[in-house]
Amino acid sequence: MRRLATVLAWAGLWLATAGPAVAVSPAAKEKVLTAASKNLIEIGLSYRGDQVTFFGVNPVPGADLVVRLTAAKEEDIKLSVKGRVGPFWMTVKQYEVSGVPFMYKIHAAKPLEEIIPPETARELELGYEAIRQKMKLHLLRGEAAADDADKVFQGLLKIKEEANLYNIVTDPRRLEVKEGQLFKHYFRFPPAATEGTYQVESFAFVNGELVGYGRDLIEIRKVGLEHWLTYTSQNHPVFFGIFSVLVAMGAGLGVGFIFKKGGHH
Amino acid sequence: MEIYLPIAGMSINFFLVIGIGGLVGFLSGLFGVGGGFLLTPLMMMIGIPPAVAAASDSCQIVAAASSGAFAHWRLGNVDFKLGLVILLGGITGGTIGVQLVKVLRAIGNFEFVMKVVYVLMLGLVGGAMFVESLRTIRRSRGAGFDSAAVAPSEPKLAQLFARLPLRMHFARSGLETSAIFPFSIGTIVGIMAALLGVGGGFIMVPAMIYIIGMPTIVAIGTDLFQIVITSANVTLQQAIVNRTVDLLLALILLAGSTIGAQFGALAGKRLKGEQIRILLAIIVLSLTVKLFLDLVLTPADLVSLAPAKGGGH
Repeated sequence: MRRLATVLAWAGLWLATAGPAVAVSPAAKEKVLTAASKNLIEIGLSYRGDQVTFFGVNPVPGADLVVRLTAAKEEDIKLSVKGRVGPFWMTVKQYEVSGVPFMYKIHAAKPLEEIIPPETARELELGYEAIRQKMKLHLLRGEAAADDADKVFQGLLKIKEEANLYNIVTDPRRLEVKEGQLFKHYFRFPPAATEGTYQVESFAFVNGELVGYGRDLIEIRKVGLEHWLTYTSQNHPVFFGIFSVLVAMGAGLGVGFIFKKGGHH
Repeated sequence: MEIYLPIAGMSINFFLVIGIGGLVGFLSGLFGVGGGFLLTPLMMMIGIPPAVAAASDSCQIVAAASSGAFAHWRLGNVDFKLGLVILLGGITGGTIGVQLVKVLRAIGNFEFVMKVVYVLMLGLVGGAMFVESLRTIRRSRGAGFDSAAVAPSEPKLAQLFARLPLRMHFARSGLETSAIFPFSIGTIVGIMAALLGVGGGFIMVPAMIYIIGMPTIVAIGTDLFQIVITSANVTLQQAIVNRTVDLLLALILLAGSTIGAQFGALAGKRLKGEQIRILLAIIVLSLTVKLFLDLVLTPADLVSLAPAKGGGH
């Protein structure tokens, strides 16, 4: 019930913010039926990322499919830009970056520009260029330069791609479509994908026009010791600090007792 | 086998972490020094965010030093009065240091300042150690007729500091000296403990012996005592102010370093003192060069993520 409410609220928000200028609103189209191999990823002690397989039915046989994975919430981040100061390299300016997704992956069977015109890509925020358009920079420290927006965006892409949080794969082998109807693909969630809700949206296009849309939600949650350590350290820092010191002292004395040599320093 | 570090926010090979702990433990058992100054840079090299590396290292030092401190306390090797004066400095310095970390992280230059301080400190310590042990080796080859000349006489600095105001009597060390120097050195080591994640024994012990004039065994016992409390204070403050203490990481490092230290101590018995020191000097100097190159070579990434609130994520 709650999930349905969020989906409706989210769709409503989309319509409200997009307004009449958007000719194609995803929620109004035919439904792309999808299913995920799991909707909950748990971060435990031995977590090393996870992989989720998605299955779906193309509502219009033969339509071009584009699947996008994003974090439900956008992220405000701070980026440091290094520069030369004398012989040294150090941070010379900082930007607050907003409007960019924490995670962004796209799967399609062929390059996006062969599927949709640039305007549609921008409206639906498909492709890196659309993110670049949405990105807002706010200089926090240092002096701005003309090519900063470009430099910061390229730097951000590199950081995100190295952490496997961003990628765009346009390869029929990654998005298998059977008889133009049944499709199957998987997304890999890297260890850097933190707790939160992620959405996987499937878009179906015919001649560059949106004809179908579907959405799945994946939740990542820390469990057990990982959850306790993160939650306590971020929400009860005083208790966590005292606890850490006591555990360390206890462990140190215990270990010293085992080896009977008084340890080292 | 991968393990997920909750505060560093990353998945890392368990054996790599315990291996680094073991290596540093081995070296600290071999050389009889704390391994903090090696541990933080090594953790950064395997990708742990610098602030998390320093804070978790402090936590590990609390554990690693506590059993030694306990043993020395039972043997009566701790000068509590002098220890408390140093500690007052250590707690002041640690508190200042943690705030410094906070400010430096906010402006994005924590890593830079940390590396600069490391280069200066390791360069000085490594260089001095290298020169000193080279001299010792040469002298022992040259029949050793002037060995009496190097025996530490009453140090001039000790006499100078003893004349400063705030004189106190320290019964366990058999000293009458000013409280100003122990407090100041405590403050400096406290700041470094927060900034670098080190215990500071390699500065504190020589200062206690050569400048304050304490007996060696009391200096070592008192140093361990102040390290436990100073590092506990830094751990607590890092947890509160910067939220960067990764307890899981600290405990894995502790396990590794404890085992490594046992083997290090065994190996230490087979090597001569000056050989050990020249080896340590070479390790320290190569680390200095590596960190210096980090500062001056063009970095692979000019744009980097600055920490938001919280730990490494």
